[in-house]
Amino acid sequence: MKLFSSYNRILAIITFTGLIIIGFLFYKTLGQYINKQIDDHLYEEVLEVQDFAHVKNILPSPDGFDDVIVDYKKIHGLSDKNRFFADTTFYNPKKKHDESARYLKTELILNGQPYEVIIMASKFEWQEQIKSIILIILLPVIVLLLILWLVNRILIKRMWQPFRQLLINIKAFNINQEKVFEPVQTNIEEFRELNNTVLEVSLKVKSDYKEIKLFTENASHEMMTPLAVINSKLDTMLQSNTLDKEESEILDDLYKATSKLTKLNQSLLLLVKIDNNQLQDKEEIDLKALVNEKISYFQELIQKRELQVKTNISPFSVFANRSLIEILINNLFSNAIRHNNDGGSILITITNDNLIFSNTSSHTALHPQKIFERFYKDNASDGTGLGLAILKQVCLKQNYVLSYSYEKEYHQFIINFKSSDNKIR
Amino acid sequence: MKFLIVEDEESLRNSINQYLTVEGNICDHASTYEQGYQKLSIYDYDCILLDLTLPDGEGLQLLKYLKKINKADGVLIISARNSLDQKIEGLSLGADDYLIKPFHLSELYARVQSIVRRRHFNGNSIFHFNEIEIDTTAKETKVNGKPVYLTRKEFELLLYFVVNKNKVISKAAAVVHIWGDDADMADSFDFIYTHIKNVRKKLTDSGCKDYFHSVYGVGYKFTDS
Repeated sequence: MKLFSSYNRILAIITFTGLIIIGFLFYKTLGQYINKQIDDHLYEEVLEVQDFAHVKNILPSPDGFDDVIVDYKKIHGLSDKNRFFADTTFYNPKKKHDESARYLKTELILNGQPYEVIIMASKFEWQEQIKSIILIILLPVIVLLLILWLVNRILIKRMWQPFRQLLINIKAFNINQEKVFEPVQTNIEEFRELNNTVLEVSLKVKSDYKEIKLFTENASHEMMTPLAVINSKLDTMLQSNTLDKEESEILDDLYKATSKLTKLNQSLLLLVKIDNNQLQDKEEIDLKALVNEKISYFQELIQKRELQVKTNISPFSVFANRSLIEILINNLFSNAIRHNNDGGSILITITNDNLIFSNTSSHTALHPQKIFERFYKDNASDGTGLGLAILKQVCLKQNYVLSYSYEKEYHQFIINFKSSDNKIR
Repeated sequence: MKFLIVEDEESLRNSINQYLTVEGNICDHASTYEQGYQKLSIYDYDCILLDLTLPDGEGLQLLKYLKKINKADGVLIISARNSLDQKIEGLSLGADDYLIKPFHLSELYARVQSIVRRRHFNGNSIFHFNEIEIDTTAKETKVNGKPVYLTRKEFELLLYFVVNKNKVISKAAAVVHIWGDDADMADSFDFIYTHIKNVRKKLTDSGCKDYFHSVYGVGYKFTDS
């Protein structure tokens, strides 16, 4: 739940219950006040009845008075309790419905005889008055609350605007891109503080990242010369005609190790280069031709593993940097060949802006996120663990969507080319 | 042929020197920009092997200087820098080729030969090895005057061995020469064996002696001794 709605919900609950309680209390007090008024009036009527009986010596007729109904009942003697107020209802013959009323039951000596007198007055008018009063008071209160709520909503929305902008800017911030984090202009102290903190963090992250990148680049470069020395020394050693079998095997292992180190270095440098957007020149590339070219290029590697390559390629071109696309295709091939089982198959499909490399493998489904991480590889793999990371980075830079799936014992790497927005995962 | 090696790393320079000094090749070397500058001013070379990062200067400056004094020496840049821009800059300044460190000496020699061939014979050069004749322009191979059909990769492989004749070529070097950097996707370099077997068969079938000698599984040597 949003902070805003959470706040609003609590506020609404409190206001509503408060309003009900206050309304109830108000109604009660008003009712009591009115009852008291009626009771006074009834009492006055009783006095009048008494006076009337005293003066005229006859009882007043039951409806002899305005608005009140008087009822008499002869009793044997006076009890202790001689005045009793209560609520009741009566049938109003004029209006033809029940009305609530207030009555006073009292005992009087009229003409020397004890009587029980009930005087009843309709509360209808009073109730109407209460309704009006409550409406007059409550309606403006409700309207006021509504207005307050609306103003609150608009105000908060306005005040949180910098926060939203801040969020958008943070999301837009990409460590790989040249663009720095864009600060938000605001007068609100808290947001300004947040803004400045994020700005500081982003600058720090950026400079750290740059440093690491520079370090990687320099370290890789510096390793190239010693590697060249090792390689040349190995080549020199190879020329000596005195090598026996054991020494040859050692030499072979050394060659393999240097070749792996070389590849690792080159991959790291390539990643840095892709990160730095150093491969910018774009051109129209016929993907169909390129894939076919690569199939014949890797033919020996494919034959050695006795792999079946099937293609289903419709003509398709992309506008991109040739080196990057070649790296992309090479890595896909490399992956499909390396991680295949002997006699397995590779299926290459281009359709609907998608380039799909599917291959059989002795492995079951791989972790769809982890496989694109740098240096992630299974124990059986002899690679550098950078191939798929490079693939991901190329796609990221070109705004292609790269995804992996495992279907019907085929590992599938899908590149979607037509996605100029930032849907990259 | 006469080469100049401009390289500050002594052990690398020595290895290159040792590898190239065969069959009458002469190597001169320079370990600094200044030395390189002096040698370039005085002597002529068939090919200059130029490292870009020198302790007292930039190798590319030597290229510029070479162009200024109108010398037509072949130049092979050997550098650890493998950015595209560097390559383009080097090549546009007049370098003939660009080899990224680390490299195999056999590859270096093949590239140097190719540069010299282009420079001196307009690329039109015919290599002879006993009864084998390789025409690098027409990409044709003949044994005893009769053409032998080789695929492009087979031709490249044979030429590579002939250029580096009497040298042991590691499998790794041969694989990288033919398949480039992506060759590592095979878990071993053994698949070069099939290729060499094919070349060998095609040559011997046309009456050629077998000059390929296997060296304990590390590599091969093309020699008639």
